[in-house]
Amino acid sequence: MKSVILDAMEIENHIEGTLKELLIKKNESFSYFKLKNMNILPCRSCASCCYKTPGKCVFQDDMPEILKAVANSDIIVLVTPIRFGGYSSQLKKAIDKLCLIGMPLYIVKNSHMLHPMRYGNKSLLGIGMADGDIHGQVENFQQLVGSNALNMQLNHKTLVFKKNDTLHKLETQLQNIYQEVFQ
Amino acid sequence: MYEKSLLILNGSCRKNKTSYIFAKTLKERWENTGNKAEIIHIIEYFDGTKDLDSIKDIIKRNNIICLVSPIYVDTLPYPTIWFLEKLSTEFSNLLLYKRFFAIGQCGFPDVSLCESLLGSCKCFAETVKMKWLGGLGYGGGAIIDGRSMEDLGKKGKKITHALDLALADIFKDKEISSKPQELLNIKIPKLLLYPLSFILNYRAKKTGKRYGVSDLTAKPYLK
Ligand SMILES: Cc1cc2nc3c(=O)[nH]c(=O)nc-3n(C[C@H](O)[C@H](O)[C@H](O)COP(=O)(O)O)c2cc1C
Repeated sequence: MKSVILDAMEIENHIEGTLKELLIKKNESFSYFKLKNMNILPCRSCASCCYKTPGKCVFQDDMPEILKAVANSDIIVLVTPIRFGGYSSQLKKAIDKLCLIGMPLYIVKNSHMLHPMRYGNKSLLGIGMADGDIHGQVENFQQLVGSNALNMQLNHKTLVFKKNDTLHKLETQLQNIYQEVFQ
Repeated sequence: MYEKSLLILNGSCRKNKTSYIFAKTLKERWENTGNKAEIIHIIEYFDGTKDLDSIKDIIKRNNIICLVSPIYVDTLPYPTIWFLEKLSTEFSNLLLYKRFFAIGQCGFPDVSLCESLLGSCKCFAETVKMKWLGGLGYGGGAIIDGRSMEDLGKKGKKITHALDLALADIFKDKEISSKPQELLNIKIPKLLLYPLSFILNYRAKKTGKRYGVSDLTAKPYLK
């Protein structure tokens, strides 16, 4: 099982260390991307990736590195501070470009119109770090991960931590959820 | 400052497409009530063609803010989230107690796809302590593709009516009622999704061929 981790955390945290340790211990291969260090340009909605260069963006940035890893992976892991009940802009810069893994064609699944995926079935794990007590932010985050999973036809799980959760809690929950995703 | 001045944020990276048509209609209808409205394009601040600091005066002279945004992968586009982050970290003192509402529009006809986006707008309002006046979703924005409400005929009239009703609530400082959303909902029988997909696939392949591309299913990043 290959994992791709898109990490958009802005402050010191234990998630990166714990995830890497877990995957190394399980002898699983993974690609870890720290998004704040990456140059990813916004989607301009020019549709070139649909019809002119299918699956490729015509603007040059670091996204092909991520796309190569995603295309050849089984699990996509998103790590983000929960921002306004969704993803931070650092994560969203990569998520918008994940459109490239969809085809500009249409299928109907469970009464939903969807774009078929170029690189087959995968799982999605959304990990959010909640700060403050904005009403409904966690539920909205969970709904967003679920919508992305439906959109990209992935199985999914979400995990939400609070800023002051202990390292032990983080380790246990990550271990449990990864176990579920691997099954 | 006018008593009820409306600032409309266009959250699309395309300045003259569907989000703009909604924004333009909102502006015109609001101005018909004798009040001021203005539109700004978030992408200009993201790209740096407009100075972010200039937003201060714009916020100061408006007391109601509306975000009109397309859905990108189930929620707000990257530059729009970036802009809301900037507002909350750098200008939140100017936003305090102002009114905020939002319109999300997406490509697929299913309006429930707008829920996460509208939920995020509500969370943003709470974060910066603005008063949330509600949100509207529209499915099928890709079909509008920047055409004016007049060009859309009956559909355009219905959307405009829905926006009028929503603006009447906003004007009274009330949360948007359920009626405008009911008008915006598109009811496509589930069985019709199959022929619709068939037609759209045919069109997509034809567009590809126009660019000399016969295989839209390429997998350029597979090892
Ligand atoms: C990168 C990208 C992602 C999109 N994701 C979705 C989506 O998840 N669901 C959907 O219904 N439409 C999606 N769309 C379609 C747009 O929401 C739709 O075409 C919208 O009307 C564009 O608004 P605009 O004309 O104001 O740019 C996406 C478009 C782009 C470019």
